[in-house]
Amino acid sequence: MKAVILFSLLAVAALLLQTTVLPQALAGSASPDLLLIVCVYLALRRHSVGGALGAFGLGYLQDAFSGSVIGLNAFGMSLVYAVIYLTSRRLWVENTISRVVAVFLASLVKTSAILVVVAVFMSVEGLGSTFFSYVLADALLAAALSPAVFAVLSRTQLLTVTEEA
Amino acid sequence: MSFVRRNRVVIVSGTLLLLSLVLLSKYSRVENADPIAGAVLEVMRPLQVAASAAVDAATGIWGGYIALVGVRRENERLQHRIAELEQQLIRTSELRAMERRLDQLLEFGTAFQLRAEAAQIIGRDPLPWSGTVTINKGSGDGVVKDAAVVARSGVVGKTIATSSHSARVQLITDHNSGIDAIIQRSRARGIVKGGVDGRLVMKYLDREDSVIPGDLVVTSGLAGVFPKGIPIGEVVRVWSDSRGLMQEAEVIAVVPLNRVEEVLVLKAAPLPTGMEPG
Repeated sequence: MKAVILFSLLAVAALLLQTTVLPQALAGSASPDLLLIVCVYLALRRHSVGGALGAFGLGYLQDAFSGSVIGLNAFGMSLVYAVIYLTSRRLWVENTISRVVAVFLASLVKTSAILVVVAVFMSVEGLGSTFFSYVLADALLAAALSPAVFAVLSRTQLLTVTEEA
Repeated sequence: MSFVRRNRVVIVSGTLLLLSLVLLSKYSRVENADPIAGAVLEVMRPLQVAASAAVDAATGIWGGYIALVGVRRENERLQHRIAELEQQLIRTSELRAMERRLDQLLEFGTAFQLRAEAAQIIGRDPLPWSGTVTINKGSGDGVVKDAAVVARSGVVGKTIATSSHSARVQLITDHNSGIDAIIQRSRARGIVKGGVDGRLVMKYLDREDSVIPGDLVVTSGLAGVFPKGIPIGEVVRVWSDSRGLMQEAEVIAVVPLNRVEEVLVLKAAPLPTGMEPG
């Protein structure tokens, strides 16, 4: 229960950073998806129904806040969780470099999935050009920030384990 | 049974993916009708206000204090005093700048005979391809859904969701945005649409209409959201559409949407010219 509360607080903090601090710090040039990094962490470390629900919750929170259609990011996050979860059952994704690569690929998977869903459910022009202009920059930024976010999340998890022990 | 237990995470993930698609198909037709989204907006507002204030304070300190670190080394006592004065000056000049911006906003509102509520932007969209911002005024302040949002130089967007003390504003660059507009010089009419790449394109311009780079694009006042004549942007490029029947023009917004801090939310329909606000 403590872990759920702590991760929820971290998710809200990440959303706050993503919507207030980072847009000003980066002057709107790129926007790292911090919640995606939390989702990848869940997929690597929480192989449980709670982890899957957490990923869905992160996406729903992003949807509720972004003004985009409800379900869009929930779909992207759930897909990222499933893909990373299945991958981590077969491949060793425990060192820093493999995690950075996982976040980079997860960002590409999420954005590609969202673009496909947007193309199917909504009529939006210019998706192709957006993919290359935004997606790669955001994926690189998310990957660059992932070691720091993972360190915070690991510390949080350690904290809950220590307290629960 | 053991198969289900062994693969329960995959099964739950699959179910959640399906649930997401169901939500998508429901809410892609009814924009922002989710009540939970409104609650999230309301809960996050005070946190966003605090975070925004912290960022503003940090930016001020960086600009006015950190830049003087080298000088401070020369004379610590005097520099300490200077730093204190600098802090006061920053606060004062920040207040003056805000006052000036608000005055200009109010002048803008008066010029267009608008009844409006000044608001501050407290949060920006976490997603790059969806252009929305959150402001610190909501239904409790008289802000309603589909209200026009403007800055002193022109159109910013419109409100798409409100809670008691905050509202979400869809910027004109959002891919779902479309504004009925005219070219000020030639009165050619079209629709200014946003795009996922953040560009503005004026569409459905008659191929016989005169549109050239440098033309100012203003609201037509026909769709009922924006009053007539508010600047939207400037034409930078003109081309024929794929079938050659219409013209299209790339438009650069007059409002720097990435940097705008204060906005006016129009609370009611604009008054007819010559009438005093009541």
